[in-house]
Amino acid sequence: MTVRILAILLAIVSWAAIPSESFGQTKPKPTGKKPAAPVKPPPVKLPSAVLKPKSEPVMKVASIDRARRESVLEAATKIDEILERAWEKNGIKSQPSLRDDQFLRRIYLELGGRIPTYDEASKFLTSRSKDKRVDLIDTLLESPDYVSHFYNYWADVLRLCERPQNNIVLDPYLAYVKEKIAENKPYDKWVHEMLTADGKIWQNPAVGFQMRDDGMPLPYVDNTVRVFLGKQIGCAQCHDHPFDSWTQRQFYELAAFTTGTRTRLNGNDPEFKKGNPVNQLIKEARDKTPDGKASAALQQLVRANQFAVRYNKRELKLPHDYAYSDAKPNDIVKPKVLWGSVPSSAAKADRREQFAAWVISREDRQFARNIANRMWQKMFGLGIVEPVDDFRADNKPSNPELLEHLTDEVLRLNFDIRELVRIIANTKTYQKLAMVHEPSSAEVYQFASPILHRMTAEQLWDSLLTLVAYNPWAYQRPTAKEISAVVDLDLSKAKLADAEKVAASYESTYFLPKYNRDLQKLCGYKGQLLVRASEIPTPVPLGHFLRQFGQSDRETIEGGRTVGTVPQILAMFNGPITHILLEPGSVIYDDVMKTNNINGVDIVFVSVLSHKPSLLDREFAVNEVKTAETMGQGFGNLIWSLLNTREFIFIQ
Amino acid sequence: MKNEVLDKFDVLLSRRNLLINGTAGLLGVKFLSQWDNKIFAASPGTRAKQVIMLTMRGAMSHIDTFDPKPGRDVQGETEAIKTNTPGVLFGNSLPRLAGMFEELAVVRSLTTETGDHEQGTYLMRTAYKKLNSISHPGLGPWFQHAMGKISKDLPGNVLIGNGNEHPSAGFLESAVIPVPIGDPAKGLENIKSPGYLSDTNFKRRLTLANRIDADFREKFSGTEVDTYNQMYKEAVRLMGSKELESFDISKEPEKIRELYGSNRFGQGCMLARRLIQGGVRFVEVEFGPWDMHQQIFTDLPDRAGVLDRGMSALLTDLKTQGLLSTTMVVLATEFGRTPKINENAGRDHHPGVFSCVLAGAGIRGGQVYGASDEDGRSVADDSVSIADFNTTIAKAAGLDTKKEYFAPNGRPFKIGGGGTAIEKLLA
Repeated sequence: MTVRILAILLAIVSWAAIPSESFGQTKPKPTGKKPAAPVKPPPVKLPSAVLKPKSEPVMKVASIDRARRESVLEAATKIDEILERAWEKNGIKSQPSLRDDQFLRRIYLELGGRIPTYDEASKFLTSRSKDKRVDLIDTLLESPDYVSHFYNYWADVLRLCERPQNNIVLDPYLAYVKEKIAENKPYDKWVHEMLTADGKIWQNPAVGFQMRDDGMPLPYVDNTVRVFLGKQIGCAQCHDHPFDSWTQRQFYELAAFTTGTRTRLNGNDPEFKKGNPVNQLIKEARDKTPDGKASAALQQLVRANQFAVRYNKRELKLPHDYAYSDAKPNDIVKPKVLWGSVPSSAAKADRREQFAAWVISREDRQFARNIANRMWQKMFGLGIVEPVDDFRADNKPSNPELLEHLTDEVLRLNFDIRELVRIIANTKTYQKLAMVHEPSSAEVYQFASPILHRMTAEQLWDSLLTLVAYNPWAYQRPTAKEISAVVDLDLSKAKLADAEKVAASYESTYFLPKYNRDLQKLCGYKGQLLVRASEIPTPVPLGHFLRQFGQSDRETIEGGRTVGTVPQILAMFNGPITHILLEPGSVIYDDVMKTNNINGVDIVFVSVLSHKPSLLDREFAVNEVKTAETMGQGFGNLIWSLLNTREFIFIQ
Repeated sequence: MKNEVLDKFDVLLSRRNLLINGTAGLLGVKFLSQWDNKIFAASPGTRAKQVIMLTMRGAMSHIDTFDPKPGRDVQGETEAIKTNTPGVLFGNSLPRLAGMFEELAVVRSLTTETGDHEQGTYLMRTAYKKLNSISHPGLGPWFQHAMGKISKDLPGNVLIGNGNEHPSAGFLESAVIPVPIGDPAKGLENIKSPGYLSDTNFKRRLTLANRIDADFREKFSGTEVDTYNQMYKEAVRLMGSKELESFDISKEPEKIRELYGSNRFGQGCMLARRLIQGGVRFVEVEFGPWDMHQQIFTDLPDRAGVLDRGMSALLTDLKTQGLLSTTMVVLATEFGRTPKINENAGRDHHPGVFSCVLAGAGIRGGQVYGASDEDGRSVADDSVSIADFNTTIAKAAGLDTKKEYFAPNGRPFKIGGGGTAIEKLLA
């Protein structure tokens, strides 16, 4: 590391020819008669935590089995063949294949969630290895970048946030989701674990899935079916579904499986034998202070320990205003699945287990089909069934053969979803030039290539960070174990002194106000945390760059958006994030300064757009750098300009 | 095409001249100067020129706000209070609004088709059901599309709040995408170039970006990329405009700021008033969450108190400034909450019947329209659908609610969703 610092120092000292100012800064033009005093650039303070690469591994990620490469390529060919048949049948022209630089950019963004660094790009572009694309796909899929990027995907789907309600501390569950992606846990086992988990979140972070819908047992069923089976049954909660076949009764029959699940301890639990310990502890704490107020951290901590998932069989009744003739209001409903049957392996299990077994059933295929469609959408920008959570008889897949084939693949791979992604990335079709697809056109898209789309907010953030930070991992969200160690309180025997002790440890660590302050100290730059989007506590505040570019508020399933707005452009023009890039100490600044000549132009292009400039563009760029007041300013203008191209924010 | 940005710049620089010469219609923008606006204000019309929509996110309970059921079990801990009109009661967290009932048209007989927040909100904002094949415009974009902009520099419609769930411009042109404002205290952020960046240099940067990007934009021309081209134009136009002060609530006197309440919603309402004054056609302010499945009687008084203060201040302020005669204020939510209080002392989703409120220009205030049954469970009189409600809003602004607008896929849509306007609500 010290070598790197030395290099930076040397760079600054030895290239005195370019003034060591930030790229954007220059003397203001004299206004009026009075010559203005030169404005000194403000002292640059990139947080030191981001200034040098991390020395230890960022995280452990399950490795890719390179011995399976042959079979991966065979599987990819099969997909290409299915697609080619569809093109032929529909008279679709084949799209041109991606050039190396285009492939490089897409694969980094879509598997790793960010653009490649200058060094990574140069290495790939100059490599003559025949296998360099296959190699890069494998490398990315076992990198922390992959974990971060797919965490962002699931965070959007599962509405992950630290505090879904004031007193629910969901952090261990967020860490758990990330860990499952890193260890590449088979998807069916992962989902089953979440649907059946019980206990406190400190002991079993998988309960977070249930806890996210605390107090909403019926929406829980709706959300679960929507996310994992791709069907919208929510309307049937109140009345028969208007444009699908689900009846209100069917909805209640399904909900009857999980109705006995609770997310909070109450009078039925041993912890509450001697009354409500939560209220008692908080009252004691209040009585102890002169102003009758207990600390926010203590109250939150004690209340957070009331949340635990437990299941006891309970009957569900139809609503009091049930209006159909097949049953009476308030009748008890017997559990019944929407289609198929509960797998025999779970016949004797409790109802909640039965529900989980039915959801992930291999025989029924919908669970596998749903994830196949989701991963296809993730890679191609469009599902074979679209929207991905609206499988219906009259919402037909654009290519049924492809969808069923991918479903077979999911089953063959035993729900190794990363392997499916690996196969899709290796298809020739995936490696073709993106097409513009208008969602409102009546045309059925036949997947001649992935569709052109804007980077997600997280991809954009992580890409800008790539241009800035040598270490984009200044911190990582705490693991489930780390949090559990400071927040667990046994309500069955805790005295006030115990609560105070645990509250003190909570207040000094993961209590959000304190935690956020600590993070700001570590890697804050003008109020923004310079760390991967996956690690920033969510939902981020409304005015944050990520929200401006459409990151979800984590209230609705897949609430992320990529539509353009004026504030986004203003953020790109004038926001702090764009300007960090022009500061000494940023990766791109250093890389450009290493040349101290006009070759810096190529470096800027490769860093920002992952390719060298065309002859014409180079001429424009060189002209800009040469005619600017200083070369530094010229480079600053060039970097800024490239960031403000559509080419930068779209993935072609 | 390559000189597009430079051209824009020239436009920007000579804006003052344009104002003097009053070149309406330039840039394809319908343009009325501040002056024209004042003329409207001076002659109270019966049709709204501008709209402020207050969107209550998460489904506001009707029984605890605008449709109390005193004496019934379903009422829970909320009490009913008298308004200044005999026989009309509100929930006890709305004392200020109760004191200005003569301004309000309370609709107590709305009913909707879904108890799902996302779909419900979408339906309320667009008057159309959420479908896979088409994306419908929100009411703000639709108003801008139909009525044009007022101020040339300021956006035609602004969304103060969260923004993610907003359907945006739907199938309409990207120029009518609402400008989202997260924090009213911060207004429109990043609007100023850094002090060191000269105009010349900014121009150089834009020119260079445009040159280098020209091929890409042509090759991948389509809605998404073109939208960004449009947004770049809008952003350049906005930067440096004097009318940006409309976004800066710190310019308001302390007294006024206090009137609205020192919270995000109150300040959002105040920003909305500034923007209306500056000539923004349609401003939406989001507020919530109202999704009170638990402890509703603990959480609701605070939230409703914020609403009461913010909305009453808004109406008072608009009136004082002479803007209420040209501005309609709408309070909307996606559905109601169950009369039955659940085991967590909360109320769940209830699409069967719920309440919304209209006020100001184009609206006949001082009335309750429609009624729910004795427990607030179903509609008892004068059922109002979401499309009827939206059509009423459009009609109150003098829009042609029968006119068909065609989406790119050739299908026709109407502002307000083809409902029936409630004539009794109109001034």
